[in-house]
Amino acid sequence: MKVTIPRLRGVLTPLIAVTVVLALFPIIGVPRIWLLYLFLFFTYLSMANMWNLLAGYSGLISLCPAAFVGLAGYTLAIGTWVGLPWYLGIIAGGIVAAVFAALISFPVFRMKGIYFAIGTLVLPEVLRFVFTIWAPVGEPVYGGGAGYTVKGVAGVSGAQVYWLALAIGVASIFLMRYILRSKLGSGLAAIRDNDSTAASCGINVFNLKLYSFVIAAFVTGIAGAIFYLYQGYIEPVSAFSVRWLVIIMLATVIGGEGTEEGPIVGTIIVVFLYFLLARYAGISLIIQGVILIGIMLLAPQGIMGSIRKTRAYRSLLQLATRR
Amino acid sequence: MTLLADLATPIVMGILLGGLYTVIALGLSLVFGVVKEINIAHGDLVILGSYFGYVAMTVIGIDPILSLIVGMPLLFGIGFAIQKYLLNRAFKISMNATLIVAFGISIILQNTYQLIWTPYARGLTTPYALESFSAGPIHIPLVYLLDFFVAIVVMVFLREFLKRTYLGRAIRAAAQDRKTAHLMGINTDRVYAFTFAIAMALAAIAGVFLGLTFSFTPVSGMSFLIIALGIVVLGGMGSIVGTFVGGVAFGLAQTLGGYFFGVAAQMLVAYIMVLVVLAVIPRGIFGR
Repeated sequence: MKVTIPRLRGVLTPLIAVTVVLALFPIIGVPRIWLLYLFLFFTYLSMANMWNLLAGYSGLISLCPAAFVGLAGYTLAIGTWVGLPWYLGIIAGGIVAAVFAALISFPVFRMKGIYFAIGTLVLPEVLRFVFTIWAPVGEPVYGGGAGYTVKGVAGVSGAQVYWLALAIGVASIFLMRYILRSKLGSGLAAIRDNDSTAASCGINVFNLKLYSFVIAAFVTGIAGAIFYLYQGYIEPVSAFSVRWLVIIMLATVIGGEGTEEGPIVGTIIVVFLYFLLARYAGISLIIQGVILIGIMLLAPQGIMGSIRKTRAYRSLLQLATRR
Repeated sequence: MTLLADLATPIVMGILLGGLYTVIALGLSLVFGVVKEINIAHGDLVILGSYFGYVAMTVIGIDPILSLIVGMPLLFGIGFAIQKYLLNRAFKISMNATLIVAFGISIILQNTYQLIWTPYARGLTTPYALESFSAGPIHIPLVYLLDFFVAIVVMVFLREFLKRTYLGRAIRAAAQDRKTAHLMGINTDRVYAFTFAIAMALAAIAGVFLGLTFSFTPVSGMSFLIIALGIVVLGGMGSIVGTFVGGVAFGLAQTLGGYFFGVAAQMLVAYIMVLVVLAVIPRGIFGR
């Protein structure tokens, strides 16, 4: 696969302008339901971006985003029970997810390709069992299968939660831009294309994969903690649910795996689908599964991958970069 | 000595349960070994077999084991179609595409079950499913013995099939070297579709005996998939004997885990064993 990373300097200013406008939304009194959809968009976007970093750029098909989301959510919830303020709880959530990723990377990275996918598939299931049995605080009423409420969040307004989501969403876009243009990004691209060649060129394959895995875990964890701050309670079945993986994978695959804009486009569609299918909870996931298969078979590069191949996109790109 | 006497029941039950796990994992192992794809939807397709038995029992009123006469060809056909129209095409795109398409199938199946049969746990409670017998200190449910017996029959049948029939030889040829098999005039796409179809017929058997042994829900597929993956990796892909050894190992892990750490932790013990196996011997004990 050829990597083309166009240096679009022109994109930076509009991105900041859009961010500022979006940040003003709660103040100028945009309907609450819009804010909810935007909130979901930004949390999912940051997770999808991180999944894209792993699947699209590092060659790691990770099936365990739910593990990071759930761990961070639990860290936040349990943190508020022992007196940790929620803003520290969110950061602690990201750190716990990152430490978990670093710890499991030693056994998991011994597995290549398909084995890596199997190994990561097991993790959320294991964690779900652990959190169903284990109740660190608040026994006997809370914990275990009953889950926890996030305490002391009455003071957190809807606008604050929205801004947090906006911040992590935009941060994840910048982080992707930064990573892909750094040494880490080129190293990852080399590993994805051929890891033995990359290793013989002096790239430390294990370390680079570890970095991207830990970064992805951290950001996914932060986004997960923000989601549970909004939700206000957490229980093991939904926290470690395969649904997270469906959303994140669908967003990335629809938009285009291995393209920078892919997750953004994909997440817009996923949130729109969520809005459309909200009334049909039963068949919503069935339809999402059909779309996933359809996109994968008919346009495996996703929307952005397909657009990138067209002549119109290339001439636009030439105009934008003035080359 | 009392510990040994206490342990006798979980050990025997674990070995017998290993039979059921072997049947569940054989289909996965076959697809893994021949098509080199990991069928993430395998667990859910096994559960499809369980629900088929459930419908046959409750709606039509025939014995779930007898219903396999229809169930096996049905799943055979579904499997053939899945491989021919979806996975063969995905396989040509990339390895990841196969994984993602199989994941999509799994999501569709799980939610379809939920829609049709509600999230409540079901079981195939036939009169003989509740019977059990004792031999000295050992107390064994009849179904577990049945599981083990079926595993032996299925393994022998599969082995002879792969050894003696033309299709079986074609499957083995395609497993060893796809390109050469293709050059020798084997339609590998068709062979793959048949392999997947056979795996699904095995899944139908596995599903019915799973339903007789345990209760199942629409999402049970995932836990059995994970155990089956552990078995396949432990036994080495595509090896029948290896799958059996892996199955018994996981059956023992579950019953002994339940004995030592309580019933709530028995699945957890099996899951952690999957991770350990993946990390320590990813090529398996009988792997090539």
